[in-house]
Amino acid sequence: MPNNTKKHNDKSMWQSFKVFLKSIKGYRLPITVAVILTVGSAIFGLFIPKILGDMTTIAVNSYPDLDWTALGGKAILAICMFLISAALNYAQAYILAIVSAKYTKEIREKILDKIFRLPISYFDKHQYGDTLSRMSNDVDVLTTSMSQEIADVSLSLTTLIGVMAIMLTISVPLSLISFVVVPVSVAVVGKIMQYAQKYFREQQSTLGILNSEIEEDYAGEIVIKSNSYEESALEEFDRINDKLTTVSRRAQIFSSLSFPVTHIFTNLGYVAICALGGVFVIEGHISIGDIQAFIQYVSRFNRPITEIASTTSTLQALLAASERIFEFLNEPEEEPDAVPAKTIDKVKGEVEFHNVCFSYLPERPIIRDFSVKIKPGMKVAIVGPTGAGKTTIINLLMRFYETDSGFITIDGVPTREMNRADVRSLFGMVLQDTWLFSGTVEENLRYGKLSASLDEIKEASKASNVHHIIEALPRGYHTVISEDSDNISAGEKQLITIARAMVANPPMMILDEATSNVDTRTEHLIQESFEKLTSGRTSFVIAHRLSTIRNSDLILVMRDGAVVEQGTHNELLKLGGFYAELYNSQFAEN
Amino acid sequence: MLKLFRFLRPYWWQVIILLLATGLQVYTTLRLPALMAEIINKGIVPGDTGYIWMTGIRMIGLTLVSAAGSLISSYFAARVGTAYARDIRRAVFTKVINFNLLDLKEFSTASLLTRTTNDVNQVQMVTIMLLSIMLRSPLFLVISVIMAMQTAPDMSWIIWIGAAAIIGSAILIMSLVMPKFKVFQDLIDKVTLITRENLTGLKVVRAFDNEKLEKKKFIKNNDKLTKLLIYIDKVLELQNPLINIIFNGTTLLCSWVGISLLSKDFAYLGNMTAFAQYVTFVMMSFLMMSMIFVTLPRANVSAHRINDVLSTKNKIDWLDKTDGVPEKTSSVEFRNVDFCYPEASEKVLDGISFVAHAGETTAFIGSTGSGKSTLINLVPRFYEATSGEILVNGLPVKKYAKDDLISRIGFVPQRGVLFAGSVKSNIKFGAPNASDEQMRKAARIAQAENFIEKLPEKYNSHISQGGANVSGGQKQRLSIARAICKNPDIFIFDDAFSALDMKTDARLREALKEVTESAVVLIVAQRVSTIKDADQIVVLNNGHIVGKGKHLDLLKSCKIYQEIVKSQLSDKEYAAELRKAKGGKHA
Repeated sequence: MPNNTKKHNDKSMWQSFKVFLKSIKGYRLPITVAVILTVGSAIFGLFIPKILGDMTTIAVNSYPDLDWTALGGKAILAICMFLISAALNYAQAYILAIVSAKYTKEIREKILDKIFRLPISYFDKHQYGDTLSRMSNDVDVLTTSMSQEIADVSLSLTTLIGVMAIMLTISVPLSLISFVVVPVSVAVVGKIMQYAQKYFREQQSTLGILNSEIEEDYAGEIVIKSNSYEESALEEFDRINDKLTTVSRRAQIFSSLSFPVTHIFTNLGYVAICALGGVFVIEGHISIGDIQAFIQYVSRFNRPITEIASTTSTLQALLAASERIFEFLNEPEEEPDAVPAKTIDKVKGEVEFHNVCFSYLPERPIIRDFSVKIKPGMKVAIVGPTGAGKTTIINLLMRFYETDSGFITIDGVPTREMNRADVRSLFGMVLQDTWLFSGTVEENLRYGKLSASLDEIKEASKASNVHHIIEALPRGYHTVISEDSDNISAGEKQLITIARAMVANPPMMILDEATSNVDTRTEHLIQESFEKLTSGRTSFVIAHRLSTIRNSDLILVMRDGAVVEQGTHNELLKLGGFYAELYNSQFAEN
Repeated sequence: MLKLFRFLRPYWWQVIILLLATGLQVYTTLRLPALMAEIINKGIVPGDTGYIWMTGIRMIGLTLVSAAGSLISSYFAARVGTAYARDIRRAVFTKVINFNLLDLKEFSTASLLTRTTNDVNQVQMVTIMLLSIMLRSPLFLVISVIMAMQTAPDMSWIIWIGAAAIIGSAILIMSLVMPKFKVFQDLIDKVTLITRENLTGLKVVRAFDNEKLEKKKFIKNNDKLTKLLIYIDKVLELQNPLINIIFNGTTLLCSWVGISLLSKDFAYLGNMTAFAQYVTFVMMSFLMMSMIFVTLPRANVSAHRINDVLSTKNKIDWLDKTDGVPEKTSSVEFRNVDFCYPEASEKVLDGISFVAHAGETTAFIGSTGSGKSTLINLVPRFYEATSGEILVNGLPVKKYAKDDLISRIGFVPQRGVLFAGSVKSNIKFGAPNASDEQMRKAARIAQAENFIEKLPEKYNSHISQGGANVSGGQKQRLSIARAICKNPDIFIFDDAFSALDMKTDARLREALKEVTESAVVLIVAQRVSTIKDADQIVVLNNGHIVGKGKHLDLLKSCKIYQEIVKSQLSDKEYAAELRKAKGGKHA
């Protein structure tokens, strides 16, 4: 069983590697050039120790009358070699820097595009934080490890092969010593790193547990306080904190072991070569300069092997990141709009639901065979307890979701046969969740109609009772609203969203009344502007207030996901059903 | 960063062992090149095989000692570093969990969370790095310089050239890149912000068909970011080739100078090789140390953020033992209470006085900023009154021991907050010893029984973190059940009913009477319907009490109350209410 999952993992990893390779196809040429430059740079660098060794040999052989011309020639050769090597190295890095930056940019834009094209339902099932982390963390990992990987692998491989070749030409027996020592050291280090990684993974998951524990405690601090729960919370925290410390200590120890262990093996190899090499020189097998060079090559031989060994973990991170990114990019998108799309020239505002069925999950139908005809200019209130599915109606109307069967028409035109954007432009929407983006008040108000003049905006603000509030802000219409700006209250934010809808001036309105967190005076202002907004327009209101409900032309009463009653206030009261019960519980003595 | 080092104190002896082991490791490692020089000079040149083997064995011995030193120092660095981080984390958590609400307001939850986890991790990482590299590198540096000078004193000037070149190139690159990092971070934040806004405002963006506008904004920032990234990379990538040139150049210089010195002393043959290695060590040490200077500023920011939390003074002092005997009958009394935020000039509450008796409901109403929430938060001492006195059961709150006061109060906050666990563990959160009978009763009164019974495992059903798997209304009902289960003397509902629909709200208040016969009930509310039956309604405006009495009385006499009622009823309904109030007077 575990074997199976491993196989599956390998397969899916290979799959995501292929997807990743496909995505960098456009950069084939610069990447190839960069690889060639890396190989060149490595080769030129390789000869330097050999040349330095030759210098020593020349000096020893021509002692005491040093052959300065030969030495000078070698020195100049060495200088040329390392300058060329450095130049090629930089050219390679330069190209890869541009490639990885461009690739990052491209992927980020693709992700944003994807956000716009995914159906809203995707975000019901996935948290924003998840998408956001794909956009930032995963893209970061992907691009940094990508350029690093390309440079490292080509450099390491070239160096490895080159060094081996040169070492063999200097001395076969000495080479064999290093060829044995180094792989053993790499194997041991690899094993150690495996443990380290295991503990690092454990550290990450423990950290996650600790994180959610702390988050919960901090977020619920008022509850902890009002129940004297501090001691118990600290006990629980200590338990996880201690576990985290143990695992992260192990992870640290194992990962820091790799350095001394490599060191032991390197030094043992070094000593062996010094001693054995010394004996070889005495016996006349090789020259003293070659020993010098050889020692330097051994240290160069070590690095690429450890680097290649460490590539596996970088590669894993890269693949994991690319898997998450491309998984997101491959999510099914909204159905394309109908072609040719129908349009409505002059909207009267007649909305009709024809036998509409809808469910989020196939086994749990939310709306069953719902039909209603709404005449132009009607005020429709949707009421019902929390979770009854009131927003679902709105979501269908705006085509954030598609009906399972049945259809909705506006002035007789099925919304399905129109462009989504066109359908949505017919409605102004004021939601309870008052979303404003960070920017000035003016920019936010203009959001619904980009061509609106400042005068138009001020007009709309006045009509929405928010003009004075905005004027009272430190910089008036130019005040910047940011996420954590507390200069604007929740109620004032709602007023701004009403003004925003007013600027757009759509033929129909959708409103979601706020339930709480709004003080009475602001609430009064909101209600007044709601009324202005809905007058003469077909409007749908998710209603919590009796005044709104009673004045509407049609009330849809929802319960457990279905419209159970519909009619006017008086009709429904006469009916004596669920609505009457709801209403009477509010004003029992009336 | 330095301030946090006090947390290292308990581990001082481990740090000393670490220091000794590091010294041993560095010294033995650095002896190796000198021995190699001896092999060349005294072994190879005179042709003495025996000497070579002897020295070889000595070198192996040194290698093993060096490895042991290195292992010991790594072990202790990991041990000390993680224990140190654990202690800081615990200190931060303990501090935060004992914050009062004022402190909590100063920091946001998200920021406190990062401070407790990410920032501490950052500090841990750098501390381990300091303990290993930062201790090792200067030692390496100093001993290398000394040994280099011993092996080839005539060549020592090369060290200074090499070191100067390395430091110079590091400074050059840093000075080109450092100023851009801030801009870079800002741009990254901006790109993330735009993405987040598009996620949270998904519906609004689509409703206004503004995808193109949003994309334009994104591309503008993304392009800027890309350009800057390319610039930074271009400069940073200079580092590798430059270092390579410096290393190779210095090695070549060593060979050249060494060879030219051969005529003076043939021992330079071996010495120049050893010397070249020492110079490499010196330059490596500088590189390592410059790495610290790159990571240190970031860790320093983290350390500052941690210190901010740790240095916050807990503003509320509790007695260890209740000083005095509270009365048997429950009551809450405010005597001329003022409250204002520290460093604020305006009072949030001004001269508040009222008495709430057992078996009665006292309700607070008023617009946002009227101070009603602050007022009830003073009872469990979440805030401390600036002046005046608050008495619970006849005894000032300041004279209570913490648990003694808290156990008398059932507090239901505005937002239903639940904890990961089960329905049961959540209801019994404040009263772990409550019987299951008591728990069921609390659930029934809180109108939570129905939905709990429908859950797959009823009271043992799992509640996920923050109560994410139950709806807002259910969360609120469970948090009300939690307060009821404590069987408190005083119930405080901080706008706890507005998440419920009107029907549940009414039923719950009816059922609540069963347990509030001898208890004080304090309710903050937005809806008039929630509080109109209260025995006493306190109307607040800008921190003052502007009305106190029953619904119908206030309707007659209190202008602010009239405004509030009017805003929530239709004109017809309001007129009816008003008639009733006037009628009451005549009756």
